[in-house]
Formats: sequence, C-alpha cells, structure tokens
Amino acid sequence: MIEVKNLRKTFKLSKKQQKLEKTKTKLKVAVDDLSFSVNKGEIYGLLGPNGAGKTTTLRIMASLIKADSGDAFIDGISVKENPGQVRSKIGFLTSELKLDDFFTPNYLFDYFGRLHGVDEKTLAERKIKLFDQFGIEPFKEVKVADLSTGMKQKVSLVISIIHDPQVIIFDEPTNGLDILTAKTVTDFLLTLKKEEKTIILSTHIFELVEKLCDRVGIIIYGQMRLSESVEDLLKVDRLENVFFKLFEEGMTSHV
Amino acid sequence: MFKLKTLINKELKRFFTDRRMLSTLLLPGVFIYILYTVIGNVGASVGEVDDSYIYQVSVVNFPEELSFIHDQFESPLDVQFLTSENDDRIQDVEERTLDLYIVFEADFYANMVAYDIASGLPAPHVEIFYNSAAEESGAIYQYYTGMLNAFERQISNKFDINRSVEVSYNQATAADFSRQFVTGLVPFLLMIFLFSGSQAIAVESIAGEKERNTMGTLLATPTSRSQIALGKIIALSITALVSASSSFLGVMLSLPQLVGDDSFTLAIYGLETYLLLFVIIVTTVLIFVVLLSLISAYAKSIKEAATLAAPLMIVIYLVGVTSLFGTSQTNLWFYLIPIYNSVQSLTAVFDLSISIPQLTFTILSNLTLLGIGVYLLTLAFDSEKMMFNK
Ligand SMILES: Nc1ncnc2c1ncn2[C@@H]1O[C@H](COP(=O)(O)OP(=O)(O)OP(=O)(O)O)[C@@H](O)[C@H]1O
Ligand SMILES: [Mg+2]
Repeated sequence: MIEVKNLRKTFKLSKKQQKLEKTKTKLKVAVDDLSFSVNKGEIYGLLGPNGAGKTTTLRIMASLIKADSGDAFIDGISVKENPGQVRSKIGFLTSELKLDDFFTPNYLFDYFGRLHGVDEKTLAERKIKLFDQFGIEPFKEVKVADLSTGMKQKVSLVISIIHDPQVIIFDEPTNGLDILTAKTVTDFLLTLKKEEKTIILSTHIFELVEKLCDRVGIIIYGQMRLSESVEDLLKVDRLENVFFKLFEEGMTSHV
Repeated sequence: MFKLKTLINKELKRFFTDRRMLSTLLLPGVFIYILYTVIGNVGASVGEVDDSYIYQVSVVNFPEELSFIHDQFESPLDVQFLTSENDDRIQDVEERTLDLYIVFEADFYANMVAYDIASGLPAPHVEIFYNSAAEESGAIYQYYTGMLNAFERQISNKFDINRSVEVSYNQATAADFSRQFVTGLVPFLLMIFLFSGSQAIAVESIAGEKERNTMGTLLATPTSRSQIALGKIIALSITALVSASSSFLGVMLSLPQLVGDDSFTLAIYGLETYLLLFVIIVTTVLIFVVLLSLISAYAKSIKEAATLAAPLMIVIYLVGVTSLFGTSQTNLWFYLIPIYNSVQSLTAVFDLSISIPQLTFTILSNLTLLGIGVYLLTLAFDSEKMMFNK
C-alpha cells in the first residue's frame, strides 16, 4: 500500500538551468501538492508529458530526494521519518540510476543482494530464477560497459527487485526496449501483481497504461489532474483523448 | 559490518583488477627508482674533488709490485709507507685527516703468487679503510679498489679485498650521513606521493560515481550512509597505502644511487623506525583520503574535483617543504596541526628524534580529524544537493 500526501518539491535553478529553461524565476515547482494512493495487488500508472514531475515524485518516494512538504507512506512507513526502512521495502528502478560499467551482472547481483541483506542461499536461488527469466545467463559475465541498452535495463530491473520487495516503483520501465524485451517486463509486472505486490509505474505511453494498469493518475505541471480506474475511464473515452483535454485545460489554467 | 565488507570488497576489486588503474597506482614507484638511479649516477660524477687536492694515503706492507697503482693516479698523492699496523690511522680516516688507510697482509705479493684456490685456504687479504662521507676519500677508494680489482682479474682471483664482515671499513659515520639525507628528502617526497595516490582514487571513487550516476544506485539500497562513508574511506585508504608503499620502496631503493654510497641500505633504520613510519603514514593517508573524499562529494564531476583539490595540493607541497630543513619541530603543540604534524613526525622518525608525546599528539589529532571527516562525509552522502547536483 502506497499513500502520497500533498507532496511538494521545488528545485532551485542555477544560472545555467535558468537559461536552458528560458525562465527568470529562480524556483522551479516540479511537484505541486500531489496526492494519490496505490492499493495492494494493484498496478498504478503515473502518466504525464516530459517534465511533468513523474520522476521527481518517484524519487521522493524512494527517499533519494526530500520533499519540501508533504510525505509518502510505504506500507504505513513514512519516507520522511524512516527513509532507510522504506528503502528496504521498495524496489526502485529509474533510467537515471546506472550500474557500474566496470563490473559484471553476476558480480553486481551479489553485491546489491548483500547490501539489501539477502542471505546467500536465497540470493543464489533468486539469481538462477531471475537470470533465467530475463535471459541474463548468457551475458552474466560480460562487463556492464559492453552490454546493450536493453541488456543493461534487464540487469537494472532484476537488481532492483533482488530483495523481493513488497512495493515496486518503476520509472518508465520499458523505455528504450524492443517489443520483445518490453513484453518480458510487462509480463513480469503482471506476475508481480498476481503475487499481491503494490506497483506504481510512470510512463508517457497510453497503451501501456490501458493494457497493464488498474488505475491511472495523470500528472501535468506537477499537479495530479485526475486519478481514476482505467476501466471506468475507458468506458467514456480513449485515454489519449482524456489526456489531451486535460492538457489543454492545464495550458490555459497554467499560463 | 557484513555490508561494510561487501562495500570494501567491491571498491578494492575496482582498483586492483583494473590494469589501467593499477598501473597509475604502482608505476610511480618504479618510475622513481629508474629516475633516481639515473640522477644518482649523474650526481656521483658531478661531485668532483678539487684538482689541487693532495690525497693522503697510509699503507702497511705495501708490495713494490703494485706501485703502478700509485703511479697511475692522476692527482697529487702523498703516500706514507708503514711497516706495522696502527689503529690510530683508522681514526684519522674517520676524522678525515687521512683519505685512505690500506693494510696488506705481510708478504702479500709472494702469498698471492703462491696461492692456490683449490687449497680451500683463505686468500691473501687487503683491507682498505675509507670514509664515504668525505668526497676525497670516497673518490680514491673507488680508484684504489677499481685498480686492485682490475689487477686481480688479470691474475684470476687470488686475493680478497675487505673480506672481514666484522670490520667496518667505511669510516664515514655512514648512517649519520644517509640519515640526514633521508630526513631532508623522504618526508617531502612521501607527502607528495601519499597525496597524489589518494587523490587519483578518491576522485575516481566518489566524484566519478556521481558523474556516472552509479552513486544513486548505491544510495537507493538500505545501506546506511555512515557505512557507505566508512566503506569508501577504508577501501580508498588501503589502495592509497599500496600505492604509497610502492613509491616509498622506489625512493628508499634508489637512495643508494642518489646518495652515491653503496653501503646505504634500508637497514640504516631498525624495524621499530619502519613501524613508526607505517603508523604515521596510515594516519596521514586516512586524512588525505577523508579530505579528498569530501572535496569529491562536493564536486559535480571528476574534473571539478581535481580543480578543487588543487589548492589542498599546494598546501601539502608547501608544508612538505618544511622537512627539507632536516630538523623537526620541537614545540609539542605544533603536532596538533594536521598535515604539518605528519611532515614533522616523519622528519623526526627519520632523524631518530621522535618522542612519544609528539607521536601521540600527531595520531590523536589525525584520528580526530578522521572522525569529523567521516561524519561530514556521512552527511554528504545523505545530502540531496551534494549527491544529485548536476
Ligand atoms: N535536480 C533538478 N534541478 C532542477 N530542476 C529539476 C531537477 N530535477 C528535475 N527538475 C525539473 O523538474 C521538472 C520535473 O522533472 P521530472 O524529471 O520529474 O519530469 P518527468 O515527468 O519525469 O519527465 P520525463 O517524462 O521527461 O522523464 C522538470 O521541469 C525538470 O526540469
Ligand atoms: Mg522522468
């Protein structure tokens, strides 16, 4: 169970960033009073355009960065109060966190497993199972530097859930993957769902949400514009159309 | 604790299985050895003696047949021929009033001609007392032994020079001389090597991980920030120590050439000195690593870390130069100043004047700084601004 309550996050922009974003304001509101919740056994899709604040929200939930105000609770544990405990409960995947080029998937699996406190026996069992499931076995002794984007993504994913976490937080998990690899990932998410895990994933791909998610939250300019059951939404209109309508409203209200 | 081991193992694997990294760490030592061996040889030929100098030699039982040695000597030579040994002459060599005191055994030449190697008896013996700390004595000693050796080669090994292991033929208080040299130079060199070794790896391991976005992956695990900080410091220090040992050995092994004295060995110091040295080097490496880690944690990239470390490097160089005076600080309180205390303690260890309070102050002060450093590094690893600033 995930509960996000009134999260707000602003970034101080450096001179360089101000130029890049073509703005004179020093503060950038990335996440603006965001609230939503995800139930056990549910896949929640966080949908939004580039720069909407999806990654920022997920990073706060993973306790990598701190919210200005508000809090997130993972199975009732406050991210703000007990970041360490939250880290051991979640599996976090984002393309911004990389694996060390110098090591092999095999070595990194053991390394991160131990840092997560997984005992050696379980670690060995999980390695066999996950490497087999994601087809990592053939390149498990190849240094990360020499792996393709898709291979790296598979290894990152496997390592993110090394400790069999109850809560899964995936930031654009299928980004840059071919259809086959993407399907491995979505199939895997469905098995996790069957295991009654709590899953949240961010994406800007409507199809993925329609196919996979039980509920969806649409986030625009850091604000949650809608949080509903995908099934109910689809009865009314295609997700795409709902999104465009919200986006146009957002444009007019934002300016 | 288990996690600390995991963290350290990975860092060490990173450094010790990467050939490029390893060569950056170990090559300086080899390089220094080669460099100083060359400089040393050049230095030896530069140390010429004044042309008008009259060499003073006393020789006992000199065989007429060898007078070519004296005749071929190119500088003025004053030889005193003695018929019996006189130990006062050895004293004269030490006091530099005499350049060489040579003792041939009685009937040296006849014995030599008659000597049969197969007999198993000791060969005829000549003893040459000299003083390598005096350039003149060193020079004529080189000449004399060179001539004797050449002669011996012609007649195929029929006598021994300076055979006795119980007698000290070099009257230089050689240890004093070498020690002075070491005291002046080695602490300075050590500081530089320790620093550059620590810098290469600390920057790579912390600023590098930030730059490559692998730090976040580590921070996303439930490993406590203090363990991450401690793990990095320990692993980096071990690596820096290995690198420093290579440089240190390089320096010490090339000292005989640099000093121009073959009798110079690492053995001028006892085990105790090397132990003290090790303790000081360890605490010094620890604070270097801690300071450089903090700089690396603050920097956005490897490049910025190197730039930010430059002022610190200058400080280390400037402070390191204080060892070149060759005498250590006697005011105890100065041993509380990190970096300066390392230089002064090293100097004091090398000239055998280190005192327990000096050593204690140095270690305590450095360990305190280490503690503060680890604490600050823990905060840095927990700081969003430092870890994720781009
Ligand atoms: N460290 C930072 N410093 C300054 N601004 C930042 C920082 N991180 C994010 N932002 C800004 O916050 C906003 C939200 O970014 P975020 O990465 O959360 O968006 P996103 O929804 O994940 O976008 P995308 O689909 O492109 O991944 C963006 O405008 C971004 O520029
Ligand atoms: Mg994103």
